[in-house]
Amino acid sequence: MKLQDIDVAVIGAGPAGMAAAIRAREAGAENVIIMERAEELGGLLHQCVHNGFGLLYFNEDLTGPEYGNRFIEKVMDTGVKPLLETMVVKLTEDRQIGAVNAKEGFITFRPKSVVLAMGCRERSRGALNIPGSRPSGVLTAGTAQRFVNVEGFLPGKRIVILGSGDIGMIMARRLTLEGAKVEAVVEILPYIGGLIRNEVQCLHDFDIPLYLQHTVTQIHGEERVTAVTIAKVDADRNPVPGTQRKIQCDSLLLSAGLIPENELSLMAGIRLDPVTGGAVVDETRQTNIAGVFAGGNVLHVHDLVDNVSWESELAGESAAKFAMERDLGEKGTINLKAGTNIRYIVPQTISGQRDTTLYMRVNEPQENVRIKIGDIMTKTVRAVKPSEMIKIELSSEKLQKVNKETKEIIVSCEKRGGK
Amino acid sequence: MSQIKTEVLIIGGGIGGAAIARELSKYKVDATLVEKGPDVGQGITKCSSTIMCQGSNVLEFRSEYHNSRLVWAGMTMMEPLCKELDIPLKRIGSLELIKNQEEMRHPEKMMRRFKEYKGKYIPDEVEPLQFIDRDTLRSWEPNVNKSYLGALYDPNIAVNDPVRLTIALADNARKNGIKVLLDTEVMSISKGTDEFEVCTNNGSIKCRYIINAAGEYVGKIAQMADADDFALYPVKSYQAVLDKKLGGIINHMVLSNENGMVAPTIHGNLFFGISPGTQRLGKAHDHSTDKKLADAALKNAQELVPGISERDITNSFVGFIVFRNFEIGWHECTVGVSRWVPRFINASIGFPGICAAPAVAKEMIDILRNQGLQLTENPDFDPYEKSMPDFSELSDEEKRQIIAKDPKYGHVVCRCETVTEGEIVEAIKRGARTLDGVKFRCRPGMGRCQGGFCGPRVTKILARELGISEEEVTKKGGESRNLLYKSKELLEAQQ
Repeated sequence: MKLQDIDVAVIGAGPAGMAAAIRAREAGAENVIIMERAEELGGLLHQCVHNGFGLLYFNEDLTGPEYGNRFIEKVMDTGVKPLLETMVVKLTEDRQIGAVNAKEGFITFRPKSVVLAMGCRERSRGALNIPGSRPSGVLTAGTAQRFVNVEGFLPGKRIVILGSGDIGMIMARRLTLEGAKVEAVVEILPYIGGLIRNEVQCLHDFDIPLYLQHTVTQIHGEERVTAVTIAKVDADRNPVPGTQRKIQCDSLLLSAGLIPENELSLMAGIRLDPVTGGAVVDETRQTNIAGVFAGGNVLHVHDLVDNVSWESELAGESAAKFAMERDLGEKGTINLKAGTNIRYIVPQTISGQRDTTLYMRVNEPQENVRIKIGDIMTKTVRAVKPSEMIKIELSSEKLQKVNKETKEIIVSCEKRGGK
Repeated sequence: MSQIKTEVLIIGGGIGGAAIARELSKYKVDATLVEKGPDVGQGITKCSSTIMCQGSNVLEFRSEYHNSRLVWAGMTMMEPLCKELDIPLKRIGSLELIKNQEEMRHPEKMMRRFKEYKGKYIPDEVEPLQFIDRDTLRSWEPNVNKSYLGALYDPNIAVNDPVRLTIALADNARKNGIKVLLDTEVMSISKGTDEFEVCTNNGSIKCRYIINAAGEYVGKIAQMADADDFALYPVKSYQAVLDKKLGGIINHMVLSNENGMVAPTIHGNLFFGISPGTQRLGKAHDHSTDKKLADAALKNAQELVPGISERDITNSFVGFIVFRNFEIGWHECTVGVSRWVPRFINASIGFPGICAAPAVAKEMIDILRNQGLQLTENPDFDPYEKSMPDFSELSDEEKRQIIAKDPKYGHVVCRCETVTEGEIVEAIKRGARTLDGVKFRCRPGMGRCQGGFCGPRVTKILARELGISEEEVTKKGGESRNLLYKSKELLEAQQ
């Protein structure tokens, strides 16, 4: 395959990139490449040795590597060409890609379409701005996960975890199984950041203390972490004086949020949504740059890999179509606007001409609610939580209510029965 | 335990000690630098604000102060020094913002004082200060708060990377014959009639002259020899580095009356900082950031540049400003022979120490001569260093060439700063032995993810290149190992 003839170039070979590349091939694109900076396909799935993957997509309970391997095999079977240990360092607004690897050196080419599938990164200590000294032993939960599950090392044996994201809770269990003592999981919000199933299976089942509405106010230790101070916080998330407590530990793991990795997107001039941190897209997952699509955690942070795969397949299919036909039909002209208790909606715009699935998150947990998509449809839901993504199918029949004059649809989440 | 003899012993491998070592290497002299850490530049040098050539805008400094004279003398030395050592230096200029009519008098006073000092204390080559009005300010810095009435502009202010400068100074000193001993901590000093015996964790060192450039620990070292004829008054400052995506929103260093400042770094980030003025440190050698200082700094920075958000902070740290001789003045330094111990020279610069370092180093030569040291020129002195390649700064064609020469440059390890394996291996060849040592030489882990992705990979490369296990790799020497156990090790111990 010559670089000049590439139809679809996918950046990133995690679950999103693999799904996009496979679907692009299946949808008829001839030359599809997938560019990955690591040594192998699969992205972070390799370090996720726990189960719970594929319950929706495959109707099976798989581990991360198992889930990943099914896609890796398919990448090979469908004839997608992987370019491994290849780092994309440049993306321009006219879809020029610049990448480096040890074999070919610095390569540049212009594919017919691009799928962004760079995933996300973890919020670091610096980004959390935790006061204290700067010893070793402070690391993100995902880095710890790589050390434990892939490299074969433990960061320490007395652990405090700040944040109750899924990776943090999973690492609490993992490190306990490895013989370490997890002294506390500390969450600044009144509710956990990850999935309920992880709270039950990773924390409660292992008697790991969870402190809601608490935060780490100080890190101690000059060379290595020796302790952290935690404190209760008030409604404004400020520490309450007198509630400080010092916990002896040798490691502090951080699991306090994920940020879509969009530095290449910014370089190309792709418009980002300040709430999701990902590109603004329409229902085809096309960004504001024609022929550039995005899917998975680079677009918005998902809680289930199954949704990452589905969403990226959509991006891959659109990219293939664009590569072959140079046109995707109706553009997204209707803005979806977040109303009461809605944090964000992806896609941000729709054409109103196609069946589409809306992905959204709420701001606050709420029970017995009705989610309203303008006056097109309503869906009743028993409980919503910020950590659990809501998916609503919007069929083209329902969208018939939308006419050419519709510029905006407000999506809101309201309490059922009265207020 | 070994025993060595040297004529001049420099204690401390910060910018001060390294600059003195390099200056001494211009002469035929048997000199040794000892540094307690595994690398140079890792004490208060690392925590400094990266602003160079500060001085003309701090005219509150007084010509009576030795410190002020050193800072001014150093102003024109920095650029040629950086050129010789191949360290980038960028003149960004500073804008001291004027908030109200009352503050309008300030630029006039400063410009007058500048004229008065120029040629006398301030070298002739230093560019004059200027007043710029509101419209000019807005066109130069459209992202600065629109309410400011104008600014005092100092074109001399520059930024560089003080740790890289320190590393280059030490490398150059070593190349020209100065011994540099790392991981060597001074434990005690005894005075003989015409020599000192310095006891370290690595054996004893006999020497005739001691230069105490221990930075934050200058008092502790001086006490060991009863040479502490000064009072220390350490204060903490706070600095935060912002994501590179904000890099271009400010071009100059901007500062206000409230000790706050925002400036671009040499690497294309923005950073902001605050000095708490005269607020004394709670505890000596306490390097921890605190929320009060962090909040105040952020508020200050947002007042100057409203586009700054807490979300964009990638890292923050405490900087030290060691003021001394409280009775004489805040800004006075301790550079000179101890009044109580001959041949024991204290070289503690305080604020702004980076800028004064080259001048202190020069002055050290005169002090040593006055103390009886014979110094003849070193005819083999080579002033030049070549900095290591920076892959991210290369053109597409240069990238191709360097990968063709060494495929390790085609392997990007740190994605945030685009640092390749080739650079990391080169940094280790040049003396990096810790994660911080690598980070401060070629930046993996300095970006927005702070080593979350590249940490395990840099650890692996360090272990491979140094021939040690991954568990032995430390962040900054001592007890700062990153990985304490092997998988299953704890389970086996429990059985």
